[in-house]
Amino acid sequence: MAAFLWNPFPVLMLTVRQFAGGKAVRVVGAISLFPVLFGAIYAFDPGIEIAEYFISEVIYRRLFIATLLPIIVLILATGALGNEIEDQTLPYLTLKPIRRLRIVVEKLAATVLVATPLVFAGLTLAYLLVYRSEAGGSEALTYLWAMLTSAFFGIVAYGSVFMLISLLIHRALLAGITYALVWESLLGRYLPGLRLVSIRHYTESIYVGLLDTETYQFIAARGDPLEDANSVAAAVITLAVVSVIAIGLSGRRLRRLNLE
Amino acid sequence: MSRLIRNRAKTPPSVMVSTVASPVALLSTEPTIVLEHVSKWYGDLVAVSDLSFSIGPGVTALLGPNGSGKSTTLKMISGLIGQSTGQIAIKHLPPRGAPETYRTFGLVSDVDQLYPYLTGREFVRMNALLQRMPEPDEAGRRAIDIVEMNYAADRRLGGYSKGMRQRIKLAAALVHDPDVLLMDEPLNGTDPAQRAHMIQLIRDFGKMGKTLLISSHVLIEVERFAENILVIVNGKLAAAGNYHTIRERIDNRPHVIRLRASDPRLLGSALLAEPSIRSIKIDEAGRILAETSDARSFYALVPGICRQNDVRLFEIEAADESLESVFSYLVQR
Repeated sequence: MAAFLWNPFPVLMLTVRQFAGGKAVRVVGAISLFPVLFGAIYAFDPGIEIAEYFISEVIYRRLFIATLLPIIVLILATGALGNEIEDQTLPYLTLKPIRRLRIVVEKLAATVLVATPLVFAGLTLAYLLVYRSEAGGSEALTYLWAMLTSAFFGIVAYGSVFMLISLLIHRALLAGITYALVWESLLGRYLPGLRLVSIRHYTESIYVGLLDTETYQFIAARGDPLEDANSVAAAVITLAVVSVIAIGLSGRRLRRLNLE
Repeated sequence: MSRLIRNRAKTPPSVMVSTVASPVALLSTEPTIVLEHVSKWYGDLVAVSDLSFSIGPGVTALLGPNGSGKSTTLKMISGLIGQSTGQIAIKHLPPRGAPETYRTFGLVSDVDQLYPYLTGREFVRMNALLQRMPEPDEAGRRAIDIVEMNYAADRRLGGYSKGMRQRIKLAAALVHDPDVLLMDEPLNGTDPAQRAHMIQLIRDFGKMGKTLLISSHVLIEVERFAENILVIVNGKLAAAGNYHTIRERIDNRPHVIRLRASDPRLLGSALLAEPSIRSIKIDEAGRILAETSDARSFYALVPGICRQNDVRLFEIEAADESLESVFSYLVQR
């Protein structure tokens, strides 16, 4: 990445280099390709489902948002600061005349910067495989736009929360997986109230809200409509507030952290 | 913090050392680092107990056996960990919660891990950027020149030897030309040439008027760079003062020397007649344990006594030369 970014954002650039040289990014890259695999299956046998339903419900909502997105962000966000704590290199950043909040923000920015292209690439390739010759159509592009936009907000929110978790507990990866797979997926399914305290719900609300009502009603009627969906504005604001609070708490935690 | 420094003279030191006039104030000028009644505990475990000292410009060694609390003390001074009680100041600033303090000092930690994907030059430059140096390239180049790492500056840190890592860590710590350098076991892992160079650098920084606090568990090594030493044992300040004064006390302590001879009882009786011998014991294995106040004279004396008494000497060795025994002696005092 451009060397000129080192001067204004040294922590961000350090973290991008950390990711680029590590196996976390290879694992995340592989996970990001799962939607492509599903897209390829559809490309071989388009008769299994209509394209809109397959890309929206099967690939994006059930596979990507429910499982892949939190895991992708979890691996990167917990590694961004967690690896430095584990390797005891964090003092090279914290014993400097810069605000701890800036360290957190640059670490999060690096996480988003690395996760976003991988996620976008996986979803876009899956979209192209499902729609093929019809990929350029305006109705089809609505799905792509809604997927990428909502995924971006999900990356930021999950990244902020998982980074905070990595500063609070040692087994952040395990805690994050428990949150994403047990709290959001399993408990959220059987206890509807929990959806309101889940990043997944608001990410899906943004996605559903960005599809026009008619389009969504058509596919939702065939399967599992999103209940209690919030408006796009409300969902974006909620995720932004969650992110800001998590970033603030991370900065505060980093100020008080004892680096043994 | 000025109140803290003004009141220092009124505060009794946690450990008094009779041979030093002012044992906890190792300075003739304004103190740079001040610790007042600093303790650190983890649950029931006390890592550092009621530590009070002030140091000024020059090289001061923090000496103690492994696990004595040296690293904990350095980590508290640098703000990496908070103290449980007491006050710490570097140049009148607290080390935690005040980012501007980090402009005043550099830390060379004992942690071996660096960023393996960065080159030495990138690592030092990154430290210059984080220190907000106006010319980070120039600052990095200057620091790398000082530690003589130009030849490897463009290689990745992952391929550095331990000695090279120590030197590049030093370059990173001094990239902003701090007045205070804290170094945790900086000679660990260095080869003889690197060690000599590092010691020379430490001396030069001391002569330049910087304050250096350097931890070590090797007594003999400290002599080569430190004017003053602080001895920490079991988290407490056991002795403080001029290196040579403390070294003299260490050398004059009772030494126990173990001998194996053909006739231990005869040799033991002959040795007991010498005035410098305080006591003689013979252990279960038939070895003589001689306690003397002057080890050097004892070693010179033994061959003659053996010859006079026709006793063959098989082995002679110090029985209590471990650093721990030296420190134990200082604590007992």
